[in-house]
Amino acid sequence: MRANRKRWGRAFAVSALFLLVLALGGCGKESAASGKRYVALVTKSMDSAFWKSVYAGAAAAATEYNLQISMVGPKREEDYETQNRMIEEAVENGAEVIVFSAVDYNANSEAIDEAARKGVKIVVIDSDVNSGQVSCRIGTDNREAGKMAGEAALEAEEEELYIGIVNYDINSANGQQREEGFREIAGADARVKNMYTINVVSTTEDAREGTIQLLEEHPEINVIVTFNEWTSLGVGWAIRDLDLAEDTQVVAFDSNVVSVGMLETGEVDALIVQNPYAMGYLGVEEAYRLLNGGNAGGAVIDTATTCVTRDNMFEPECQRMLFSFDQ
Amino acid sequence: MRARRNKKGITMPLASVMNLFVIGMVLAALAGGLVVFISVFRRSVEQNAVISSEQAVVQVSNTVRNYTADMEEVMNLIEESYGREKEERDNALETLLRIRKDVVAVTSYDEEGEMVDWWTGNYHLKERILKNLSFIQRENGRGNRLLISEPHAETLLENYYPWVVSIRKDLETGDGKKHAVVLDVRFSQIANYVDEVGIGQHGYCFIMDKNGNIVYHPQQQLIYSGLKSEQTDILTKAGDGTRVKKNVIYSIRSLDNCDWRIVGVSYIDELVTVKVRDAMRILLVLIAFVLMTVFFSSFLLTHMISHPIQSLVEAMKDFEANAEEFSYQPVHGSKEMIALSDSFGHMVCRIQDLMEKVRREEITLRKTELKALQAQINPHFLYNTLDAIGWMCEEERSKDAVEMVDALAKLFRISISKGHELIPIEKEVEHAKSYLMIQNFRYKNQFTYSFDIEEECLPYLCNKITLQPIIENAIYHGINRMVDEGEICIRIYGEGNDIVFSVSDNGVGMSREQCESILKSEPGDQTGIGIKNVNDRIKIYFGEEYGITIESEPDEGTCVSIRMPKVEEGGYEGK
Repeated sequence: MRANRKRWGRAFAVSALFLLVLALGGCGKESAASGKRYVALVTKSMDSAFWKSVYAGAAAAATEYNLQISMVGPKREEDYETQNRMIEEAVENGAEVIVFSAVDYNANSEAIDEAARKGVKIVVIDSDVNSGQVSCRIGTDNREAGKMAGEAALEAEEEELYIGIVNYDINSANGQQREEGFREIAGADARVKNMYTINVVSTTEDAREGTIQLLEEHPEINVIVTFNEWTSLGVGWAIRDLDLAEDTQVVAFDSNVVSVGMLETGEVDALIVQNPYAMGYLGVEEAYRLLNGGNAGGAVIDTATTCVTRDNMFEPECQRMLFSFDQ
Repeated sequence: MRARRNKKGITMPLASVMNLFVIGMVLAALAGGLVVFISVFRRSVEQNAVISSEQAVVQVSNTVRNYTADMEEVMNLIEESYGREKEERDNALETLLRIRKDVVAVTSYDEEGEMVDWWTGNYHLKERILKNLSFIQRENGRGNRLLISEPHAETLLENYYPWVVSIRKDLETGDGKKHAVVLDVRFSQIANYVDEVGIGQHGYCFIMDKNGNIVYHPQQQLIYSGLKSEQTDILTKAGDGTRVKKNVIYSIRSLDNCDWRIVGVSYIDELVTVKVRDAMRILLVLIAFVLMTVFFSSFLLTHMISHPIQSLVEAMKDFEANAEEFSYQPVHGSKEMIALSDSFGHMVCRIQDLMEKVRREEITLRKTELKALQAQINPHFLYNTLDAIGWMCEEERSKDAVEMVDALAKLFRISISKGHELIPIEKEVEHAKSYLMIQNFRYKNQFTYSFDIEEECLPYLCNKITLQPIIENAIYHGINRMVDEGEICIRIYGEGNDIVFSVSDNGVGMSREQCESILKSEPGDQTGIGIKNVNDRIKIYFGEEYGITIESEPDEGTCVSIRMPKVEEGGYEGK
């Protein structure tokens, strides 16, 4: 009889414990749902159409997955110090994931490693950083994009091709990868006689001046390639300034109202259009997965790239890539 | 209880059975209720979901219909303006474009499709138009319905590429020519409305045209970026109405004044699971509460009923096993249990009292009875003896008389023995000798007697007046009726731990029936203490295994044996 009483007592205690756990579990769930989790997006710059589109995608994903998101980037695309500070601030403000696009492949790595040491997860979009702590890389396959640019450049009809490459910061990973891809294709073509590379600061004005200078130094250049939005505009303006639209095959990157206009009017002959909206969206989506215990394990997600020329720019697919849908 | 368990396999305490029963009932009821509830609930939620999806689609289609009607209104305004002067018309249309932010451009074309006129508000028409996506070719047999293009980027304006749909209407101009007027319209007005429409948590509405092109989708950019897609091919083929496909509800409704269709998408699983989860949470709390109550009540039950009953059962068993030394501990529990326990306690006390009383009464009764019997000396014997003594005195046989008186005195002294029941065998033998002497006088030496006594037996104790009634019996029933000289032989000897007295005579003997009746019946005649009495006393004092046995052979004689244990002085703490 005593044993019996003990057994009942134990059953009682166990069930009480079970109920308690159940209740606590319920409470825990609710409290987690009330506070939004914080994801920080740190980009290379803020003002370009490219980054605005990234922000739009990130914001859409943040709304969908109920995350708090902050979006910051330095004024100049070479300013890795500001970017490092922004990473630190994001960590201080309690970001659980940083969605990051590196200004400088090496100079940003220490700040990223430091953030990772504090338990922050890292998702890289667009431009890579030299760090082993990156959970996932999302963006254009830059070598492939460079090759695509190479193929577009070779569309030029001239017998002999002299190619000017207007690239931005030499420390930026994606610019270098694009250039490598480009050189791989262009270097293999017999028509290409020479390639001249300049590295400019990533602003329209600097690229414009650099391009004019390049063209003045090497008037034989009949193909120009450039690898981001601002340098594309600079090259376009330079071509317009020098009135070389008819004589020069220009392959530029990213869509922007102005560069699309230049594509229409002939200063630019092909645009390699990335999918920044998808980068932003997928970056935050991946952050959400990581927050919920997912493990990307250093996966690489490739967002599509399209080559848009004057001929196909108003095809429905190209329209969708070129023109963002803002209300 | 252990024995019962063996017999029936499993026996459980009452409270456990009750608890299991209650818990089982509660759980079964809850489970059954839950299943029924979820299925009914799910069905009703599904129905609700379908209804709310349809309602949302109706509302959106009404709004979109109003919007297209609005566009027709704008068209009518333009048509109206064609009746006026060119300048006035320009003013009116430019004003319209400034007011209506959603109208991006108005263009008009002649019958060859050449752009004749344009109004573009704040933006400039391109100098060179690479491709005009706004101009839609007329389709035959369209009647009066609005002609609406697929969504496309605006291609006419400098540095401005919004997504628009073009709406075409053919107008008669004043000079008899036909002009096609095209309105390029952004979705900003519908967009805000459509974005707001939610069906469930993640349900939404979108607008597509009859070819499956998505006109407006709340997540248009996701679709354009290739991150999301709708099954427009299937939806294009499907007619209006609501269909449920793999947990997704599609409600489709066509507009009556254009080719657009409104599609509502909602997810049953989500709707149902969210609601079921809410309901489940409440139910879980309820179940927890019920279980807690059940556990608590069962705990109480166990405490108040089962345990006391068990204690009572144990107590009764103990009492059964050893009624005399049982001491009762009252049990605690409910009022009834305490009453029961108290009653049992009273009963135990009462029974024990009664038992004690009975025992004591019996002992006293027997003792007094014995004492009375012992004290009862047969008056005949006394008279006869006194007569005999008288005769002796008369005949001047004073020596004999003195012996007789001595013997009589001894007889009485030993009979009384200061009230002791047990006396040394030596005394008992003396008593028997005195008695035999008296009787021998009285019967004028009709018999002889002899004693054969082991010396070592003499110090042991025996009940007083043990031999005398037997000798008396031998004299009266054996020798008295004899013609020859009788002979009585008395032996006392040890046999193991016992002592045996045997009195044998050579008298007439007794039949078997007589022997038995002597041991059973009280003496009815003159004899003092009967053989039965001796037998009873020995048995009361020493137990059933001791007592008297009689062997008798008619005409041969009788031998009466008395067996009792060897009891030394002080060795018997008598009752």
